[in-house]
Amino acid sequence: MAVEKARAVIAEFLARAGKSSDDLSDETPLFGEGLALDSLEAAELSVMLEDVLGTDPFSSAEQLPQTVGDILAFYEVSSSA
Amino acid sequence: MILLLERAAAEAPDHPAVVTGEGTTTYGELRTAARRVAGGLVAQGVTRFAMVEPDATRIVQLLAGAALVGSEPCQYQADMAPAEFAAQAESLGHDVVVTRRTDLVGPFRVVDPDELAGAEPDTRPGPGEAQPLLIRTTGTTGVPKAARHDWSILGRTVATVSPRPQQRWLLAYGPHQFAGLQVIQHVLASRATLVAPFPRQPRDGVDALLAEGVTCVSATPTYWRFLLAEARSRGVALPALEQATLGGEASPADLLEELRATFPGVRVSQVYASTEFGSVASVRDGRPGLDAAVLHGEANPTSHLRVHDGELWVRAGAGMLGYADASTEAADPADADGEWRRTGDLVEVVDGRVLFRGRTSEVINVGGVKVHPLPVEERISALDSVAAARVFGRANRLTGAIVAVEVVPLGGADDADLDRLREQIRDAVADLPRAWQPRSVAFVDSIQTRGDKTVRRVEA
Repeated sequence: MAVEKARAVIAEFLARAGKSSDDLSDETPLFGEGLALDSLEAAELSVMLEDVLGTDPFSSAEQLPQTVGDILAFYEVSSSA
Repeated sequence: MILLLERAAAEAPDHPAVVTGEGTTTYGELRTAARRVAGGLVAQGVTRFAMVEPDATRIVQLLAGAALVGSEPCQYQADMAPAEFAAQAESLGHDVVVTRRTDLVGPFRVVDPDELAGAEPDTRPGPGEAQPLLIRTTGTTGVPKAARHDWSILGRTVATVSPRPQQRWLLAYGPHQFAGLQVIQHVLASRATLVAPFPRQPRDGVDALLAEGVTCVSATPTYWRFLLAEARSRGVALPALEQATLGGEASPADLLEELRATFPGVRVSQVYASTEFGSVASVRDGRPGLDAAVLHGEANPTSHLRVHDGELWVRAGAGMLGYADASTEAADPADADGEWRRTGDLVEVVDGRVLFRGRTSEVINVGGVKVHPLPVEERISALDSVAAARVFGRANRLTGAIVAVEVVPLGGADDADLDRLREQIRDAVADLPRAWQPRSVAFVDSIQTRGDKTVRRVEA
């Protein structure tokens, strides 16, 4: 469930940020060539995730997530724990 | 500035001074161009001017040339919107603008920097007594102010720097910022090479580290975090660094560890400095906060720092001379004879370390950018469908804090109305710098107040 919610938050964030989610896959990188998030956009996504799911991988994971899949995986681990 | 450049050009005229996307400029070429700029400024009767220029080579030429002839430069962000620029230039009384942009129009004269650099060189032996410059900053109400500085005083901070021509420094700060000017001065003083890509995003920094042989980087913790994330995302191994400097925000322990792990053997320094106070302290031990030994006391009577009632106080080092507008008060005097100033930084001394705990004021530090809540709040409160708004800092691991807003919509708003309102809020703040724009918008029934004051402190 948490994973689906996270997916919905990412989609809403992209819509708000005016970024296309057409070619989005779990492998899409968050930075650089992928979604090209800068620090402020990543911070915005992290608080949106935190507001909906209570925790977020940008704040809690040891390393910053690199791909869309890294974000989803964080919630898979969290919800199975 | 001009003295540092002259010295470097005399000793190593063929050494590369500045590397940008437009090419490499040697110290000798830079000095010649600075002397031409100086001649151009005199010929055109320019005694003070605004600069809107992204290219670091031209910026150094203009700053050094102006210093030679005592003309006062003031840099504006290279991508500033025309209306915003016109308003700020008017408030600072700038009637000459040196820029290659063609969209800046107003009651000012536009001078092309390349035209200045094509003038007959000024041949005077050295600068006069005054080598003024203005550094823009944001005041307590968010209205831009400009701090008056002089290169002869700023230069003291690099007076003991020894030549290290093999160093290649990345310019990660804007050259209009105090920290950016510090990096430029340091490079000239050490006869090193400045690597200055534009734009200056962390991804451009990664490119420069990989392609331009950068050995030293000074940046905010937020910039470092994203530089490391960008490199991981690309799957590239970053080359070794000799020096990593952090400033502008408190440095988290996990980031300091990550830097040491990524760049084995790197020397990590944290700098405490501000536009108003100059460079005040630096620590090299790679731990968060400052060593309490830097504090003023019997053992250290010459220190520029002390802690009073949990707030860091500072006394002038290479600080500014005053504000451009003489009616603007210098930063809060803290004691009767005005020797010490309040910094607004709350600190706590724990186990011999001075640790940063936030700000006394409502200023929100977003990745090193100081954001004032009021201008943001005013724009949102002014919307027809908003009953009340509260802007505050929300703690964030990526940028230290982000700007958050709680909005009380006028009664009877449904979900579609709220979606529309969210867009209106976005539009209402679109003219503000990006760091100032709220990244968290929450619709609430009432806002938090203490007495009749809105509470705006940073929340965890």
